[in-house]
Amino acid sequence: MLNIISVFTQWVQGTDLFTALRTSWWVYPIVMSTHLLGIALFGGLILMTNLRLLGLVMTKYSVTDVVAQLRWPKRVGFVIVATCGILMLGSKAEEYSYNIFVWIKLSLLALVFIHGWVFRRSVYYNTAAIDRAPEIPGRVKLAATLSLLLWAGIACAGRGIGYIDPPLSKIHAGIMSPAQPE
Amino acid sequence: MLLITNPLNESEYSFPILECIHILAFALSIGTIAIVDFRLLNIGMRHQTPAALLKDTSTWTLVGLVIMIFSGLLLFSSDPDLYYLNWAFLIKITCLLLAIVFNYTIHRKVAQSQEPSSNGKLVASVSLVLWGSVIFGGIFIAFINQGL
Repeated sequence: MLNIISVFTQWVQGTDLFTALRTSWWVYPIVMSTHLLGIALFGGLILMTNLRLLGLVMTKYSVTDVVAQLRWPKRVGFVIVATCGILMLGSKAEEYSYNIFVWIKLSLLALVFIHGWVFRRSVYYNTAAIDRAPEIPGRVKLAATLSLLLWAGIACAGRGIGYIDPPLSKIHAGIMSPAQPE
Repeated sequence: MLLITNPLNESEYSFPILECIHILAFALSIGTIAIVDFRLLNIGMRHQTPAALLKDTSTWTLVGLVIMIFSGLLLFSSDPDLYYLNWAFLIKITCLLLAIVFNYTIHRKVAQSQEPSSNGKLVASVSLVLWGSVIFGGIFIAFINQGL
């Protein structure tokens, strides 16, 4: 099993795109900066959606109004952040396959999709009923709190990735950090 | 020789934990500022006026900014010489100061004005570029040759 993973990750990072990304000293940090900028923009949208569901912001406007208006910007934001994430992941695929925080982050992302699937009908596409309710139902607040915790966990796990040293005895190809400019 | 130890450097976990707090705080502050910017650019939240969005988000922006600055100062204190001699850090701090001043002067005034003007788009673009530069500068700190 591990052998399959290492063959796959070596192939991924050996492709022209990911090799170019890895060997340039400035492309990788630009992708990372775009990833972080996307997190700031996209994170603000997730925050506002969930804080509205918790009844903490924009209470003058209906839940429907806020959630519906932020839905598409959030999707665009996620695509930008995820694209940059995949670019970074692929460029050092083999090394990252040994990184515990990569696996924690991917697991939390899987949980985010499960969360969306579980609460889709009762919360995020049920906003008209939430607006009619005398007060915000507990299930809605639970969904919002879980979403905030999951996304915060994903951001923190992402930061953790950079703190794990590559296992030099295990990885193969010449994938060490590119030379820095003089 | 006088050795001053920073308690922050005693634990290997304090720096990464502070970084996480720093990232979440700038997502809060820049994210809420960006909501007003995207409204000024007519991209999102068009049912509300920029003035209303500013009023709704300003407390969250301020909370994010304060946490971001304090966590940032603590990160800086872990190795001031390293940062002080790093050109990415200097660009970042310059943009940060400009962005904060811009946010509480021109940006605030334009967002609060009732009649829409073409200045709104310019101001929103300047705001996004300034905050974006802060993030880019912050990331590049770790990628360039250090001064020492």
